[in-house]
Amino acid sequence: MRTRSAQFSPGVWSKQRKIVWRLLLVSAIGMVFVATAASVHSHPVAASQASQSNSIPHVKCVIGLENIKPNAKGTLSLTPSGLEFSTGKNKADISTASIQDIFTGQESRQDDSGPAGTLAKAGIPYGGGRIVSLFSHNVEVLTVEYVDSNGAFHGTVFVLSPGKATELKNKLVAQGAKVNNHVQPPPQEQKP
Amino acid sequence: MKSLTPAAFRSNFLTALGTLLLMVASFLLQPSLLGKPGPAPQQVEKLKASAIQLERSGVSDDLLIPEDTRVAMYENVILQLNKTKKFQHVYRSGDRTADSVPDLVRLRVTPQAFKAGSQKQREVTTVTGATSIKVNVQFISKDGKVLREKVVEGKVRFYGENLRATYDLAKKVAAAVNETF
Repeated sequence: MRTRSAQFSPGVWSKQRKIVWRLLLVSAIGMVFVATAASVHSHPVAASQASQSNSIPHVKCVIGLENIKPNAKGTLSLTPSGLEFSTGKNKADISTASIQDIFTGQESRQDDSGPAGTLAKAGIPYGGGRIVSLFSHNVEVLTVEYVDSNGAFHGTVFVLSPGKATELKNKLVAQGAKVNNHVQPPPQEQKP
Repeated sequence: MKSLTPAAFRSNFLTALGTLLLMVASFLLQPSLLGKPGPAPQQVEKLKASAIQLERSGVSDDLLIPEDTRVAMYENVILQLNKTKKFQHVYRSGDRTADSVPDLVRLRVTPQAFKAGSQKQREVTTVTGATSIKVNVQFISKDGKVLREKVVEGKVRFYGENLRATYDLAKKVAAAVNETF
């Protein structure tokens, strides 16, 4: 007995393969969008949990702390003596008395930044990576300027979820940190 | 095709030959090929210093630069200066212990131009949205004399966050330090 599939011509098989490949492609792009959306929505949940305490998880220290590598992620805590950033392995402190100025700013960051995100975008065919690049989320940047015991100037840049930097700045000011009046430049990511 | 007369052929041949001879002569008569040295590249004597101190760039009303960019530029330059291993000590701005170093050189990085790009625009279009920062780098002696000066520019063109321009700038400042010391 001949099976039904054996009756298909090679042209029908190639059409079916094309359909399967297209379905796989569409589902892969869909998965990227879902993953992107999930990462965006997970931040406010973490932020709301953290707002109850003085510790903020998932903070990126872009640069400026001793013993902490640039772009390290960790927990930023407000202690009675100042700020503390901990990555689990390493820890760094900034005392409130040493702070000379604090700046906050709004920025927009890509949802899939970093080398992994860049590779993933490059792997999406038909220029789909550019569409993924359109998805971004707002972040708040906290810049703290302070001096050490020798009077040497240091600066640290943190990237936090929206609202957190202003909240932290206000708490530090309440603790006695110095803040000057600044002329704010226009936001960097206002272009469409 | 119209055939050439012998006279016309001879004329064309002589013109082509003359052109070829002129090209060969101009190539051979170049100073370097004749054994004569051309204008020698300027041999600038390298500076010597055991320590360097990075000065903090002043804030100008004409050129508004976000403070995170300014701080990232300062910290990246400190990191890159340490990586050059040209100095026994790299002092930060305001460090009182630097005053006791006799051959201290101060490094002043003054921003001249800043263009805030857009990461989204860069990644979507790949040709627009570049972030760039241009600075004037000055090496200054302890008595305030400008020893060397150079303009360098840091950019992020395709992929990467805006602050990556400060990393690129710091690498170029470190290259200027390697040329100078």
